[in-house]
Amino acid sequence: ATCSFKMVCGILVKPLIPDPNLNKIPTNGSDRNADSLPSNRTDEQALLTTILQRTALNIIDVSAVDSQGMEQHEYMDRARQYSTKLDVLSRTLSQKKPVPLPSLSSQPHQVLAADLVSYADVQQVSKIAAYAYSAISQIKVDAKEELVVQFAIP
Amino acid sequence: MTTALTQGLERIPDQIGYLVISEEGVLASAGELENDELTAGVIMQMVRTACRFRLHGTAEPPFKRMSVMFEDYVYAVTISGQKVFVVKRQNNQREPVIV
Repeated sequence: ATCSFKMVCGILVKPLIPDPNLNKIPTNGSDRNADSLPSNRTDEQALLTTILQRTALNIIDVSAVDSQGMEQHEYMDRARQYSTKLDVLSRTLSQKKPVPLPSLSSQPHQVLAADLVSYADVQQVSKIAAYAYSAISQIKVDAKEELVVQFAIP
Repeated sequence: MTTALTQGLERIPDQIGYLVISEEGVLASAGELENDELTAGVIMQMVRTACRFRLHGTAEPPFKRMSVMFEDYVYAVTISGQKVFVVKRQNNQREPVIV
């Protein structure tokens, strides 16, 4: 009696290069695989074809895009259309007013003549700023894993 | 018009120069800040940035006066009626000496 069981592997992401050794039905020594192992040559060929297919799916070749020719007058019409649209847009943009200055005081001379910031206050602020600077300069990345890895090619 | 703006500034104790700036440019200048458009430009940028600060989601800027402090002098800045007032004052404050 033939016994076969599938080996379940924990790979969740489909690898670009499929491992031909996965999904092989393990046996107890004797070669019981009904779908017999193809020769190395065709195996490799199948691998390469799969890579090609996957790449073709993921890559967009802009130069190969088929472009329809446009007639001269069509082209001119569209250029005029776009130009008009741009004009309308640039007009609405230039009308945007900058944020007006808020009013901080109705007595500017009084405010400016008032006592200057005390020496003690300046010292305190400088100290706080120095602490903040020191704290920020100590921020660093704690890398838990390798950022650069080798692709494992069987 | 300039006398109304600048009279009060002239009388500020230990002032060594001032500027009155509007959105269009410098309206008046005197003393060490006379014709100093460079300083005017920098201070305009600084005060516009400072005006964007808010405390606890309040609607107005949380300050009446902005002070740019150097070793020997201070630029005191405020805004009133769409104009920025800058006065350069001497800064004589030193560490208090305990006798």
